[in-house]
Amino acid sequence: MKKVFIDSDVVISSLISNTGAAYFLLNKTDLKLFISDKSMEELERVVEELGLNKTKLKKLIKNRFRMINIKKTTEKMNDYVVDSDDAHIVEGAKQAKATFLLTYNTRHYKIDKISQALRIVVTTPAYFLQYLRSIS
Amino acid sequence: MISNQDLPKVYTPEQVAQILQLSKNTVYDLISRGEIIAKKIGKVYRIPVSSLSFVFTGLDEDIYKAQQEDLKNIGKIHKVLSKVRKEL
Repeated sequence: MKKVFIDSDVVISSLISNTGAAYFLLNKTDLKLFISDKSMEELERVVEELGLNKTKLKKLIKNRFRMINIKKTTEKMNDYVVDSDDAHIVEGAKQAKATFLLTYNTRHYKIDKISQALRIVVTTPAYFLQYLRSIS
Repeated sequence: MISNQDLPKVYTPEQVAQILQLSKNTVYDLISRGEIIAKKIGKVYRIPVSSLSFVFTGLDEDIYKAQQEDLKNIGKIHKVLSKVRKEL
């Protein structure tokens, strides 16, 4: 089963629309999905600020995700992102031993470097769904 | 009144074969299997541009539409997410 680390923007998208690619990916596929404790912290804040349903978030995480506990984001992770605020996402994906990192913010990640050094493919939910279809 | 510009573009199976670099027979086969959605008008087929979504976007039409649905809100999400990431 493929190990996939999910960026927080994808989780939030899935809570907003149930006809989007993010919802389909997180609810209708058979994948090992990961987020980190740090992602969870930011997700709770974003859900609150956007006035979304906190219970829905907790239910989704409980039912579909495995949680990675990031003790510390290593300095090295800054080499893989444009903005160091996003470094914990790469750290989470690395610790999860994920082969994919799905995000709607691909421009904020140094995709080639991540692919070469960490063997993690950074892509969007839609392109990942297209990939799954191509191998089914 | 509908102008020509408002009408969705359609292709013949021959044109689609050329675009996708397939044989004409393969295109007819894909039509009969439902992988390319076409309209039979009399004895000929016409294929709407939406059936060729993959050619233009790299995504099948349903996946492309699902992506567009998410993108409606992504600006708002990124704004809040980036603010929260700065604060944490």
